[in-house]
Amino acid sequence: MTSTETASPAPDSTVAAGATDAHKVYGVGESEVRALDGVTISFDTGRFTAIMGPSGSGKSTLLHCLAGLDSLTMGAVHIGHTYLAELDDTEITELRRTKVGFVFQAFNLIPTLTARENIMLPMMLGGDKGDTAWIDEVIATVGLADRLSHRPSELSGGQQQRVAVARALASQPTIIFADEPTGNLDSQSGAEILSFMRRAVREFGQTIVMVTHDPVAASYADRVVFLADGRVVDEMADPTAEGVLDRIKQLGE
Amino acid sequence: MSARSTLLLARKSLRARLGRTIAIAVAIFAGVSFVVGSFVLADSLRATFTNLFAEINENIDLQVRASIAFGDESVAEREPIPLALGDEIAAVEGVAVIEPFLQRYAQILRPDGTAVTTQGAPLLGVTWSGNPDAGLTLRDGRPAAGPGEVAIDKATADREGFAVGDRIEILTDVGRQEFELVGTIGLADADGFAGATLSVFDLETGLDVLGAGDQVDVFELQIDEGADLATVQERIEQILPPRTEVITGDQVAEEAAQGINQFIDLFGTGLLIFAFVTAFVSAFIINNVFAITIGQRLRELALLRAVGASGRQVRRMIALEAFVMSLIATGLGIIGGIFFARLMVALFNAAGLGFPETGTVLALRTVVMALLVGVGITMLSVIVPARRAARIPPVAAMHPELGFAALSARRLVGGVVVTAIGVTMFLVGLFVRPGGGTGLAFFAGGGGLLLFLGTASLSSTVARPVTRALGWPVQKLLGTPGTLARENASRAPRRTSASASALMIGVALVSASAVFAASLRDTFVRVLDRAVTADYVITDASFQGMTPEVAAILRDLPELSAVSPIRATLAQVDGEQRGIGAAEASALGDLLEIDLVSGGYDAMADGGILVHDDTAENLGLATGDTVTLTFQNGIEDDLPVAGIFRDNTIAGNWLVSLETFERITELPPRDFFVVARLADGVDPLIGDDAVRASLAEFPQLEVRTNAEFRQQQEGQINQLLIVITALLFFAILIAVLGISITLALSVFERTREIGLLRAVGMNKRQTRRSVRWEAVIVSVFGAVVGIVLGSLIGIALAVAVPDNVIEVVSFSPVTTGLILVGAVFAGLFAALYPSYKASNMDVLEAIATE
Repeated sequence: MTSTETASPAPDSTVAAGATDAHKVYGVGESEVRALDGVTISFDTGRFTAIMGPSGSGKSTLLHCLAGLDSLTMGAVHIGHTYLAELDDTEITELRRTKVGFVFQAFNLIPTLTARENIMLPMMLGGDKGDTAWIDEVIATVGLADRLSHRPSELSGGQQQRVAVARALASQPTIIFADEPTGNLDSQSGAEILSFMRRAVREFGQTIVMVTHDPVAASYADRVVFLADGRVVDEMADPTAEGVLDRIKQLGE
Repeated sequence: MSARSTLLLARKSLRARLGRTIAIAVAIFAGVSFVVGSFVLADSLRATFTNLFAEINENIDLQVRASIAFGDESVAEREPIPLALGDEIAAVEGVAVIEPFLQRYAQILRPDGTAVTTQGAPLLGVTWSGNPDAGLTLRDGRPAAGPGEVAIDKATADREGFAVGDRIEILTDVGRQEFELVGTIGLADADGFAGATLSVFDLETGLDVLGAGDQVDVFELQIDEGADLATVQERIEQILPPRTEVITGDQVAEEAAQGINQFIDLFGTGLLIFAFVTAFVSAFIINNVFAITIGQRLRELALLRAVGASGRQVRRMIALEAFVMSLIATGLGIIGGIFFARLMVALFNAAGLGFPETGTVLALRTVVMALLVGVGITMLSVIVPARRAARIPPVAAMHPELGFAALSARRLVGGVVVTAIGVTMFLVGLFVRPGGGTGLAFFAGGGGLLLFLGTASLSSTVARPVTRALGWPVQKLLGTPGTLARENASRAPRRTSASASALMIGVALVSASAVFAASLRDTFVRVLDRAVTADYVITDASFQGMTPEVAAILRDLPELSAVSPIRATLAQVDGEQRGIGAAEASALGDLLEIDLVSGGYDAMADGGILVHDDTAENLGLATGDTVTLTFQNGIEDDLPVAGIFRDNTIAGNWLVSLETFERITELPPRDFFVVARLADGVDPLIGDDAVRASLAEFPQLEVRTNAEFRQQQEGQINQLLIVITALLFFAILIAVLGISITLALSVFERTREIGLLRAVGMNKRQTRRSVRWEAVIVSVFGAVVGIVLGSLIGIALAVAVPDNVIEVVSFSPVTTGLILVGAVFAGLFAALYPSYKASNMDVLEAIATE
């Protein structure tokens, strides 16, 4: 056993991803910003977690570090049984392709590819066909069967996000990270996406971590984690929109 | 916004986009430096040679030489004049010094017996008394004096490692003889003369070894101090025999310079054509880069509009940016051009052309041209993008999609109109030919220009289907990176076609040259097959022709059944200058097939002349008629028409026998080439050996069998194609640079997209691959359009050329294949930087990009 592994115990098999004493510092000296200041958190398999916090609380940084898009200054993050710090760029890319799904706030799709090609993209890049039955089920569930040959420019914003969610699900990743997935949508489309994400967790056992600032969106999750100044300051299980809003107000005081 | 703030904004914006600025500047720089280089090179060479000839002839007051009846004084072949005339001239009052001068063929041999060769420059033997006023200057040792002594030019001595005191063998028309090298000489400041070799003898020795007998070429005179030049010239004129003249030293220098300047002008014009092609290609790149970057700056420009800048101010800002940048790049281009010219001189000298020390002449005209090309093209390129920028509505700051209106319909119509006008002008120029050479240049050149512009504009309409078709195998082979390459190459057809256009033009010119050259070559092969029945063609490497001794030796060989030398001279018939060929009348029928339709070789042997049927028809001549020829030496002769022939591809339009030729002209006999035929039943291998062995004494001769001769001719045409391609290299390089710039800008535009692809699992290698193959698809697209357009142009050119030069139109699949392979590599090269940029993007930053 190496010292790294002794410092952070082997992840539980029920844990999809987690961070141990995660620090992220930008800049040096007076302009130093501590985006993450010792975050330890884990995300259980088959759960839908929302991360909330004011601007600058470090919620997006945490998401990026967990997903292997950014690296920590200190501490460790893992996806499944893999510690990200031990991987080089190619291996991290591979991990993102196979173990991680992404839904961004906007610009989720490659404009030159059709909806189907966008959904299949991570598998196509890896040169595998994926689980056809599962993919068909995902497509049926998002209700896009008749729009598969359309390009993103021919889809509405809501439809585009549904394609993005379908892509994240298609490769059956260990965990899906969603960064304000409904931020650019009207409330009707947003509600559809959120219900769909909750179904993916409930019915298919998917694990989703979502960053949001919208208490209504957070209420779709099983658990809400509150961040402030780069630290986990609170959390709440089975949240309601009102409960979350109250908690935010308390934290703001 | 004041003028000052416009300036400030323009400067800031230039600095902020350094990469793009450099890209445009490189395109301007390359175009300008090629144009300036061509002018500077031609001007400098011209000045150098004019100076050199002025210096060589500085101390010569008068020259006596044979006069010519017609034609160009500077390149005429003059008959020799009797040495005895010198005594009479020397006796004329006012003549101080008289120097007879003789110039003939002399081949220097190395100690191992091989010939000292040149790149086609002449091998000269001349006479010199040692008088420093007679043009030559002594470098080492002393002038040759007496039999057995020679001096050679310093350039040759240095190159071949000869030193004063060495024994040196020289081969002349009289034979091979050993000399002692007693000195090295130069011409004015130069160590040698344009690659020629000089063997310098004293007069007595020269007359003897150069085989001149009692004749010299010219007398060079110096007059008494205080004597009046015109008076002395007049006195000499009085005593000169007919067909001789006396001219001033200044005129000699002028004529000599004029002769070489004709060549320099031709060469300079050739270079300039390629320079303008390069500039034209640069214009496409400049235009494309401006168009793209203004698209990318849409928000910024809209914001300027939103805060109160008028459309006019935005337009002026863009124009000012372009102006400043092009001015700087043009300045650098002028400096680059001077270096380019110097580099060319160095290259020529490395190739053995021995140019004298060249000054650098930067004429005002050159600077004006540089500004017209550099600043002019840039300002023209920026008109459309600047006008578009001025029309950006302020609201586009918030909604970029409102920025541009579609222009495609108007563009299509414009493209069709421009292409149609271009094709019409081009064809009119080639086939109708109004206004002679100038008309041809204007119509065909202008038409070609419009044709390229029109095609470039129209190619955007086929860009999508063609790039999709080209991308299909890429997609099949490379999977997702291939799909992305294909989709990206076809997603913006206008941009793809614009960035491929520059390459399209370069490839079109190469393809047109290839079709033209292949047609020329195939015609040549056909003509040789048909017209040359001789088995051997013997030529001289230095293009000075050879001694009649060669033909005489071959005639004595039992292995050969027919031998004829071919000579040529000029004559006037019916007031027009014409080339007259001479051959052995009795052997000609066995060696060349000229398709005689009436008359025969016997009448030719009897002093008659064979005439080509087109010429005969024009002049109303028939076999048996008499035609009056005036030769350059002034002799007029009436010759009976011995026959009419139909095929003039090898022997020209007029043919006389050697005897007739020798009767008319007193030029030292030189054979341009000798053709020979094997006797029946002689094994070719034995014949080859016999011919080569018999000519072993003449190391400068090139003996070729019929097949080798054909190969050599083909080789020369191929070489021409290589030279043209090499000259287009700059244009093609800029075109590839253009693809690279466009692609880099596209990659920049697609930052988010690339970030997303990387986030969902595309690795660096796949990212590089997709950009790389996108570049390949774009450049192959340009090459395909270029090959189609260029081949059509080449076919038109080949058809337009008279049938006796090109009678078949050929297309070379090998060349086309090479061009396509080249295009793939060009694409790979163009993608080096953009693909590196794309794969090394910070994923997080890329995703966060607006």
